[in-house]
Amino acid sequence: MNIRILAKYWRTILIVAEMNIRQQVTDGFILFTVLFQPIIIALLGLWMLKDKGPDAAMFVVVGSGLTGLWSSLLFVSGGSINAERWSGTLESLVAIPTPFEVIVFGKNLGNVIQSLLSMVLGYFVAAFAFGYSLEIQQPLLFVASVLLSVIAFISFGLIIAPVFVMNPGVRAWQNAMEFPIYVFCGFLFPIALLPGWTTPISYLLPPYWAAIALHGTSTGGAALNATLSAWGMMLLFSLLDLFIASRLFKLMLYKARADATLGME
Amino acid sequence: MKTLTNNLRLFWQGAILSYVALFHWMRPIQYMASKILMPLSQMFFFVYLGTYATSLDNRSFYIVGNALQIAAVSGIYGMTMSIGGDRDNGTLGYIFGTPANRLVVFMGRAFMNIMDGALGVVIAFVWGVLLMGLDLSNTNIPALALIIVITTISTCGLGLLMGCLALITVNVMFVNNFVYFLLLIFSGANLPLKELPAWIQVISSMLPLTRGIAAARSLVNGAGLAEIAPLLWGELGVGLVYFILGYFLFTAFEAVAKQRGTLEVF
Repeated sequence: MNIRILAKYWRTILIVAEMNIRQQVTDGFILFTVLFQPIIIALLGLWMLKDKGPDAAMFVVVGSGLTGLWSSLLFVSGGSINAERWSGTLESLVAIPTPFEVIVFGKNLGNVIQSLLSMVLGYFVAAFAFGYSLEIQQPLLFVASVLLSVIAFISFGLIIAPVFVMNPGVRAWQNAMEFPIYVFCGFLFPIALLPGWTTPISYLLPPYWAAIALHGTSTGGAALNATLSAWGMMLLFSLLDLFIASRLFKLMLYKARADATLGME
Repeated sequence: MKTLTNNLRLFWQGAILSYVALFHWMRPIQYMASKILMPLSQMFFFVYLGTYATSLDNRSFYIVGNALQIAAVSGIYGMTMSIGGDRDNGTLGYIFGTPANRLVVFMGRAFMNIMDGALGVVIAFVWGVLLMGLDLSNTNIPALALIIVITTISTCGLGLLMGCLALITVNVMFVNNFVYFLLLIFSGANLPLKELPAWIQVISSMLPLTRGIAAARSLVNGAGLAEIAPLLWGELGVGLVYFILGYFLFTAFEAVAKQRGTLEVF
């Protein structure tokens, strides 16, 4: 794959992400999922943890943003292929020369960027409604952590979308999959509070490593080694997820063509 | 007598069929996931967050609050979708076209959701005892059952009112989600209300769940039925107000929709 093709794919990804965001700003369900729900969780968390000081406030701002990222990935990215199916554009997208996974990558990028806004809003809620003067302790490391988290979330989303399409039964579990990830990934409280047997489950989830890196760099509570190992895990999971996703997309499109069910649920 | 029999039949069939319609797309295992796993994981999340914020000694505060909050899953989502589903599925016109008693139709939509919601809360309490160490040894269990039923009824009252909104708006899930999540703050499920600003306390006093949660917490702490009776009457009263508002809104929307010809126009 040469640079020109990669540049072309990147341009497609950016255009799809932009279109995705434009389309979704009028959708009440998506707006709630990516913006309002994390803000309500931030408000609740800030009130509940108000006796723990500014570090806890930063923890809540980042953690509530992560809840928005996950919920967006689960409900919006998870349904991104079906959304095209419902609007009758899936066949056209599959038929164009650009690989379909590149399109879905762009949609996931749009969703993740949109969700990051909830972290910014959470910051303002903490600053204005609760009077916290919040400062990111390791700004450069935090920015790098955000970038790696975006990649990790997008890659994870690339697995979820085809799995939901090929197994409509799994999609029915969507509602039940939202809060367990909040719990197992330590978005708003450390996983050390959970029973020991759940720790390996957390280690297998890319959002957990995103939470480690983002919480650690924003509050300055983590050593550089811990942040670097979280980055390493995110990269490893991203590569693994991208590999699995490429197989899943091939399988999904082959099945859809063989069974002539591309446009059907 | 015949009218009464007809209305009873209408009520019962409406209750069963609307409930079946609500979950027809799910297999039993998926239904169990949505009824058990989702509320349980939500409860776990807030109980862990609450005990992390305060101390493990406060866990019963969060377990009781969040167990009762589960009533809102059926109360808000179930009720709204039971009523709004008629519009989505194109059956609203037929309902409005029948001479059926509107109040019976309306109550029939609520009945199974009340049963279902109460069952959800019971399951949440069972999880609370088995997995989170909730101590019910000083609790008057029949009184707790009464609280669960009354709180579920009042929450379904709010759901019926919101279900009526589902007849005139396409963004019903936005409204549903918003109300459901705001209840997590305003009902006092996760925060002691007296620590919140006065304006929040005023809104809380006008919402279902608030008094039910307060009553259940008192009961778990050893209070008797007589001590929590005023809270229970208050909870029931709030629910009735929402039921009545919902019913009048339902009939008003029917009249407006027929007048303007906008019955199923989105």
